[in-house]
Amino acid sequence: MTDNKKWIYGRDVVNETIGRLMIPFIQLFALYVIIHGAGGPGGGFQGGVILASSFVLYLIIFGLAAAGKRFPERANNYLMSTGVYLYAGVGLLCVVVTLGAVQFLNYGYLPLTHMFEENRALGMDLVEIGIGITVCAVITEIFFNLVWKQEDETESGKEGGE
Amino acid sequence: MKQISVGALLFVLVLGALFVYVAEDIPDFGDPNSAPNRYTPLFTLDATGSVDVLNQGNVPEALIEALTDRGFRDYELPTSVKGLTEGEWDAYLVPEETYYNIPTAKFGTAPDAPKEQKYFYLKQEGDKLEVYRYAPIIRYVEEGEHETEVPNMVTYILADYRGYDTLGETTVIFTAGISVILLLRRRGKQPT
Repeated sequence: MTDNKKWIYGRDVVNETIGRLMIPFIQLFALYVIIHGAGGPGGGFQGGVILASSFVLYLIIFGLAAAGKRFPERANNYLMSTGVYLYAGVGLLCVVVTLGAVQFLNYGYLPLTHMFEENRALGMDLVEIGIGITVCAVITEIFFNLVWKQEDETESGKEGGE
Repeated sequence: MKQISVGALLFVLVLGALFVYVAEDIPDFGDPNSAPNRYTPLFTLDATGSVDVLNQGNVPEALIEALTDRGFRDYELPTSVKGLTEGEWDAYLVPEETYYNIPTAKFGTAPDAPKEQKYFYLKQEGDKLEVYRYAPIIRYVEEGEHETEVPNMVTYILADYRGYDTLGETTVIFTAGISVILLLRRRGKQPT
């Protein structure tokens, strides 16, 4: 797909302006929801979906080629598994640093601070970040792949018709 | 046609009656102190002799025997009793989980003494002593905030007490992403 290929739904100056204005704020809000999952309403799942919705909005407004440049598929592949690895890695770290004395996912023994309870809070934050990364990457992946499929079918349909 | 509508009406009425019958037993929504949300009844005992022992803060032999007869294991037997009001007591025990309370000079200060938890709730009804078992959620609701230093109850239950569950959920979402890649991605021609 070339860059100057037109997005099938056309372009609109209103959409592009509003999108440029809103997307940074949506992403900032998503990061706030993920980080603030421990202190208020929010968490990894919700924040990840909000972050993914900003990419979905970008794709709808600017088209597949531009969105693919901003959020490349290769990075997406890695991000999808990075979140799960981060979660399981935090859990495994608890076992490793205490040489197998505590259970998997027992955050209190992470070597972060010297307070048992603070360690649990920080471990929860790390885990929420992992969840957020995975959810964001997967939702974006699903939407991008559906759009690719759609474009593919419209292209081949046109070629067949002509 | 008429038979079908009469049958449907009867069916709806029966369903409604069934719902009303079932809804009688549903506790008030969101009330943490309604009995099924807080504790479940186990059995009743003869209160004679037990009440004085309970008031002195000791566990009566009859209670230990009754619990052992009903298959409670050694670490599930109460070790101390605390009085709440007249005729109501909490029975405490040290649960099995405390074996990982290892000294951690290097990895942070863990609670060094084994932590007692309230496990049974005893109530005097006339000359009978009713024994209840606290729901596990009571510990999360009452102890969770100062055990984890996180004010959000949903987060600390989801990510800490139920960490395995959330790891599984994340894996399910990851699997969904993998299947979408396998099913929809174009082969050979890489977009962008």
